Amino acid sequence: MEKIKSNLIEAIKGTYPDAREQDHEGNRLDFYVKKQCVPSILNYIKGEGYIHLSHIAFVDWIEEGEFELIYIVWSPKDKIKIFIRARVDRENPLMPNIESIWRQANTYQREAREMYGIQFEGFEAPNEFVLEDWNEIPPMRRDFDTQAYAEETFFHRPGREDAMDVREAIIERSREEIPDFAKKYSR
Amino acid sequence: MREKATTLYLGPQHPGITGNMMVRLKVEGDTIVKATTEVGYLHRAFEKLQEKRNWLQSFTLMCRFCVPETDPMEESYARAVEAIEGREVPERAKYIRVMVLELARLASFMLWYGGQNGSLGLYTMGQWSVGDRNYILDLFEELTGGRIYHMYIWPGGVRRDLPKGFEQKVLKTMDYLEKRLDNFDDLMFNNAIFKKRTQGVGIVDKETAIEHGVVGAVLRGCGIKSDIRIDDPYEVYDKLDFEVPTAEGGDIWARALVRRQEARQSIRIVRQVIADMPGGPVYNKIPNPQKWTVPKGDAYVRTESVRGEIGLYVASDGGNKPRRVHLRGAAYVHGITLLEDVLKGANIADVSAIMNSLGTCPPEIER
Repeated sequence: MEKIKSNLIEAIKGTYPDAREQDHEGNRLDFYVKKQCVPSILNYIKGEGYIHLSHIAFVDWIEEGEFELIYIVWSPKDKIKIFIRARVDRENPLMPNIESIWRQANTYQREAREMYGIQFEGFEAPNEFVLEDWNEIPPMRRDFDTQAYAEETFFHRPGREDAMDVREAIIERSREEIPDFAKKYSR
Repeated sequence: MREKATTLYLGPQHPGITGNMMVRLKVEGDTIVKATTEVGYLHRAFEKLQEKRNWLQSFTLMCRFCVPETDPMEESYARAVEAIEGREVPERAKYIRVMVLELARLASFMLWYGGQNGSLGLYTMGQWSVGDRNYILDLFEELTGGRIYHMYIWPGGVRRDLPKGFEQKVLKTMDYLEKRLDNFDDLMFNNAIFKKRTQGVGIVDKETAIEHGVVGAVLRGCGIKSDIRIDDPYEVYDKLDFEVPTAEGGDIWARALVRRQEARQSIRIVRQVIADMPGGPVYNKIPNPQKWTVPKGDAYVRTESVRGEIGLYVASDGGNKPRRVHLRGAAYVHGITLLEDVLKGANIADVSAIMNSLGTCPPEIER
């Protein structure tokens, strides 16, 4: 396995000198690449037997102002999973489209576009995937505040106002004392 | 004469649909010209909620991603967190995990038996198999306290040891189920209606399967031998002896044949696990959940479920909450692009049989 890994590292770094590898224990191998190299690298490793696109994960690194896309590809022959990791600017998230390499990338890209607002070049899938008539910022972004959204959008059922804080309500109804250690969990 | 095309909405409330989703069908006569999957009826934003909860609170959401088989998700989460942390798991816990996973597979097979036959109007099977599934759920109730959601496999091991005499109960249930599977064969595989409705229907050929990244029984139904438990073994699957059945044809019939064999293999694995189970502790203590931080890093783990490979990506930023939990169930690839392709040219009456056979589980798609 080590030999296959080192051959792969050599081949990929030969073509893409910018790529940085990180070897993990077991059957995992990571490559940090530039976003524009993603389709050609995926095409190359697909030809090398990495035929199964297992996952595309998206992570919002808001502190660094970037989204990370991780393409996880598996080879049934070599029994190795390769992580191709690319970062894209949060302000202008435009990624290359890999739908022509794997059909199921369509679904991942639709989800990334809807949940993170990541756009893909020349990607023509129906706009709405899970959400309907969504006008806020994409909801899986870290700066989307679910609680504020819920409080603005929904209202409490009449007669249930006192249930906003369960502990307070219990004290009022039963005149029971809440122990000191539990008080700090009260709102 | 060319029939006029009309649009037919199948779902989201429809007995033949495998959950809360809709398939918009453009039909000419009773032949489907175009199918579009519409999801969004079941979006619960679990992954967003998990980012706001600590590592242990997140774990209780994992099993709720997909109801028919809840343990693979728990196990994936536990294994991913362990991989990031480098936390060791006691040997006995690994055996118990495999036993729970295989029991969950069996319970899920029982649901599939019912669903697959129910989609063709053969309702007796559903009554038999869902009834027998209850015996497995009884075992789960005794072991974990819950019938469907177990929250039993957690990072560091499993929550508690087996109750006294539990192994014997499991073995007795396995003996019973093995006999019942023969009865199921008579009702299902020797049934002319089932043969006629499934052979040559919903075909997924090898090329399509690879292009779409198909997993699990659907892939094995195309004659490709692939099983995460053998290819990328986890827990103690590399120490167990079992076979990966395949079938040729890629139609519903072939997938049914594969699952029929797999249910028997699961019984075989449960028996082996109980025979080989070592003694010792069942968990390594985790820190105080309020103060539990996981070092920066990420992990991607895969588990074989009845529907196919479940992949879970977990990233940590070094804090006390997961930075990102991203689940990819088998239905994520089967339920949208593949289903839309397979339904093209199919008959309206076969839609729900095809959906069942591909293992479409909407909660896995939108989470």
